Amino acid sequence: MAEIAPAIMGRVFPAEIAIDAREIERRKAFLEFREEDAEALKSLNEIAQTYAEPVIEDFYRHILAFEETRAFFGDPKRLERVKRLQKEYFLRLTQGDYTADYVANRLRIGTVHEQINLDPKWYLGAYNFYLRAVGSRLQEKFACEPNKAFASLLSMMKLVFLDIGLALDTYFFAREATMRKQQEAIRELSTPVLQIRERLLLLPIIGVIDTHRARLITENLLQAIRSNRAKVVVMDVTGVVTIDSRVANHLLQSVAAARLMGATVIVTGLSSEVAQALVQLGIDLSRVSTVGDLQGGIEEAERVLGLRVLASDTDHSPARPG
Amino acid sequence: MPVPVLKQGDVLIASVQAALSDKDLAQLREDLADRVGRYRARGVIIDVAALDVLDSFAARTVRGIAYSTRLRGARTVVVGIQPDVAYAMVQLGLSLDDIATALDVEEGLALLRTTA
Repeated sequence: MAEIAPAIMGRVFPAEIAIDAREIERRKAFLEFREEDAEALKSLNEIAQTYAEPVIEDFYRHILAFEETRAFFGDPKRLERVKRLQKEYFLRLTQGDYTADYVANRLRIGTVHEQINLDPKWYLGAYNFYLRAVGSRLQEKFACEPNKAFASLLSMMKLVFLDIGLALDTYFFAREATMRKQQEAIRELSTPVLQIRERLLLLPIIGVIDTHRARLITENLLQAIRSNRAKVVVMDVTGVVTIDSRVANHLLQSVAAARLMGATVIVTGLSSEVAQALVQLGIDLSRVSTVGDLQGGIEEAERVLGLRVLASDTDHSPARPG
Repeated sequence: MPVPVLKQGDVLIASVQAALSDKDLAQLREDLADRVGRYRARGVIIDVAALDVLDSFAARTVRGIAYSTRLRGARTVVVGIQPDVAYAMVQLGLSLDDIATALDVEEGLALLRTTA
């Protein structure tokens, strides 16, 4: 495939994709891509030179015939540049050097395609077109030597599959990088501990709790208890959709650790589904003090702290209960 | 190194300064059980703020102290457990469920006052 947007290549070099010489060797070995194949492809270079022009023209005619792929080549100037680069790649397929430099080039091109959001299905479809175009040219050229035509095509196929593998790696790498970044973001957002009154902390927990996050939550909570001299903590789990035995265990550990530091934890916001699930799982939360909702939890916490909230209006309406 | 025990009104304060050997712990248990009777103490505070680890033997001894002083008529509060220590203890399953805890000595004294 061609460099579609060389302008952005400078900053996309996928140096983090770990494909070293050994890995390349292993992949070639698995494809049974041998020295003979490299030689065979190299011997086709002359033929490739003569056919490059028409093959590329066919290739872009095909690509422009589909609106999904046409969208990437709206600008005629870009199309010209891309055709030139595509031709370079086409010739490179038969230049006999398929080592680190070749691989790095493939990875870079794959990354460019990933970044412009060209789906792998079109990318692979284009390779398919290439193979068929090369096949029919070889058949034409070696009309009297069908065996040679077929062997050449097989060599070409091995190389193309190596290229496809590298292209897919760039896609997977980009997806994984995105996932890592999002997980990092979730982790950073995940553990606020807020003081809402003197000696009263609020710990709202939202989303999925795994072992790592549970540890972070507990550590943040304990540090906050120390620095705020908290006596009561309201842990609100309204935003936790499911609680299984592992998550429940993490929460129990947080509660127990907070208690060791002299703080009482009140758990609020256990939904009816979660409550029933906990009962079914046989998880004993009887040692944890629970209140239905956050408001109730804060009121209970105020009671524990010996505080009482009164309405400030001066008429003699009765104070708000609670 | 033995643990110094201070008397503050009717409360005894044992302030653990350094990591304790098993022998020191046993000594502390005896000291406290003895002094609770001698000073007619109502409460015992064990301050472990200086410790960066509390193992299962220490936890068991602390529980033993709490039980024996209760039998002698005094309530025990463990104070000053550090965040890291608390987390490690919970991981080890040492949650001291039946023992009163407080943030520091001041809080411990307040707790003993309110539950007099």
